Amino acid sequence: MIKYERDNIDTDVIIPGQYLKVHDYAELATHAMEGLDPDFHSKVKEGDFILSGKNFGCGSSREHAPIALSHSGIKAVLALSFARIFYRNSVDGAFLLPIEIEDDAYQGISEGDEIDIDIKSNQIKNLTKNQTYKMKPFSEIIGKIIEAGGLFKYKPD
Amino acid sequence: MGKTLFEKIWDAHVVVEKENGPSLIYIDRHLVHEVTSPQAFDGLRMNNRRVRRPDLTIATMDHNVPTNDRSLPILDQTSAIQIKTLEKNCQEFGIQLFDINSPNQGIVHVIGPQLGITLPGSTIVCGDSHTSTHGAFGALAFGIGTSEVEHVLASQSLWLEKPKSFEIKVEGKRKNPHAVTAKDIILSIIKNIGTGGGTGTVIEYSGEGITDLSMEQRMTICNMSIEGGARAGLVAPDENTFEYLRGRKYTPKNYESLVEYWRENLKTDSDAKFDKTYTLHIDNIAPQVSWGTNPGMTCDVTESVPYPDEFAKGDQNQKKAAQNALEYMNLEAGTPITEIKIDRVFIGSCTNARLEDLIEASKIIKGQKVSEKVRAMVVPGSQMVKRQAEELGLDKIFTEANFEWREAGCSMCLGMNPDILSPGERCASTSNRNFEGRQGAGGRTHLVSPVMAAAAAIEGHFVDTRELDLD
Repeated sequence: MIKYERDNIDTDVIIPGQYLKVHDYAELATHAMEGLDPDFHSKVKEGDFILSGKNFGCGSSREHAPIALSHSGIKAVLALSFARIFYRNSVDGAFLLPIEIEDDAYQGISEGDEIDIDIKSNQIKNLTKNQTYKMKPFSEIIGKIIEAGGLFKYKPD
Repeated sequence: MGKTLFEKIWDAHVVVEKENGPSLIYIDRHLVHEVTSPQAFDGLRMNNRRVRRPDLTIATMDHNVPTNDRSLPILDQTSAIQIKTLEKNCQEFGIQLFDINSPNQGIVHVIGPQLGITLPGSTIVCGDSHTSTHGAFGALAFGIGTSEVEHVLASQSLWLEKPKSFEIKVEGKRKNPHAVTAKDIILSIIKNIGTGGGTGTVIEYSGEGITDLSMEQRMTICNMSIEGGARAGLVAPDENTFEYLRGRKYTPKNYESLVEYWRENLKTDSDAKFDKTYTLHIDNIAPQVSWGTNPGMTCDVTESVPYPDEFAKGDQNQKKAAQNALEYMNLEAGTPITEIKIDRVFIGSCTNARLEDLIEASKIIKGQKVSEKVRAMVVPGSQMVKRQAEELGLDKIFTEANFEWREAGCSMCLGMNPDILSPGERCASTSNRNFEGRQGAGGRTHLVSPVMAAAAAIEGHFVDTRELDLD
């Protein structure tokens, strides 16, 4: 778990504009979070999560933002709230899970904690601290797009 | 119960509706640019799909185009490839492209209205968050990501959850309409509702403070709806709207009968209910200057840089954000805004690079010189704006004052082309985002109106534009 205790983490710090010309996702990943945390690339591990405050992913519509995080190894972002375009981009391309949390998870989870997320029961387990928190359930369409593995695999009933 | 304008446009575009679920919404116009489209076209090719309605899809290149001499080759190879890729994709899929040499090239949100592509009551999408700009014409217009771009290219539709409705009433009259601009109104709104204040909503702007505005000023307002977290922002169309679009290059042939329909139908019913409302009184608002690293961190030009405690009002994350912002911006709390000295001035972007913006800024520049410590540039929003400005002699006014006069594009709004700030440089910018590194790594952005940017260029620091002789 990598924790950024702040609101309004914008897409310009997730992946600065100068890299929107980069089409190689592995290279894009080396610049993830560069605008905020230059050490991110060296500390992130495959399967990591990010925890942050309100309005995560605000700003530009660049899908490069969830792509850069995803190809760095990030499987989910847990935040108090999300900007809409980032949220949809994350699930449309099946890049990562945007998990809306409540204040108990935001306060309770620390940097480095091991976390298990169960999107069936909408529960987040903190294995390090032996605590459980609720996540906000996905809406119907978002749940189905996630289940299908992205927007283009989603087939309406 | 009556319906809001947004609900009427939404309902008119529902292809499939699911109870308590998402709707498949028809898209009337799809605007495409070089940065968020390449993977979408790749996706079409991989799955052997065609563009469903090339006739409703329009492309231009704006984000990474250089703004210097267009006869020179593009030095940045990755930009050149992205531009070439858009040309190839448009050719292969039969999409009309206003390329880098076209007289109609420009920022996608500037050219749409100028060419009569943006129409009241329509749904408009683009892989760019500032698509909300087109809402000024009473369109439902919003930004989408690249997967959604591919979905619209393939199907001309999108699965969407219906946003909530949010009415922002702007009441009263500005006493100094040339010194206090549409940009100051929208910055005031975002300062008050916060960067997440509009999350999950479509804003309808109403009231005398909005209907008094020209179409170009309304675009400035709607453009920054996304900075308040909203999906989109719109204004009910009126006679100003209809007049603006009359006789443009792509204005429909049956325009007058459309106007009759729009006049009758495109308004919120008197008994409609919004999910949320907010009212701003503008009789006494001051010119606005952002001091921090998001557009909500803004204050009156007559104020001082706030102390983090005073800004945060008890919210710990806000306090920390303000501390971080002051550090990044290299500002001390308590410093009067008018004492902040700047290094650069950027008049440009989809927020404020239209003809009126340049005219208003030129009134301040005329006969003056840019401060010796400042480097200033004007990047017109489109080649059409540039030509119109040159016909009025504005280019001479700017260049004689030592402003650089450039070709059209997004330029220093987002730092994708060579127009960027150096680390530590401080810029008075007419753009829409003051995020860290937005205008170049380490660059410091203050969001202001074109009038404020012009005055700051001359004086070398921010000034209360109401004290200038403008009205």
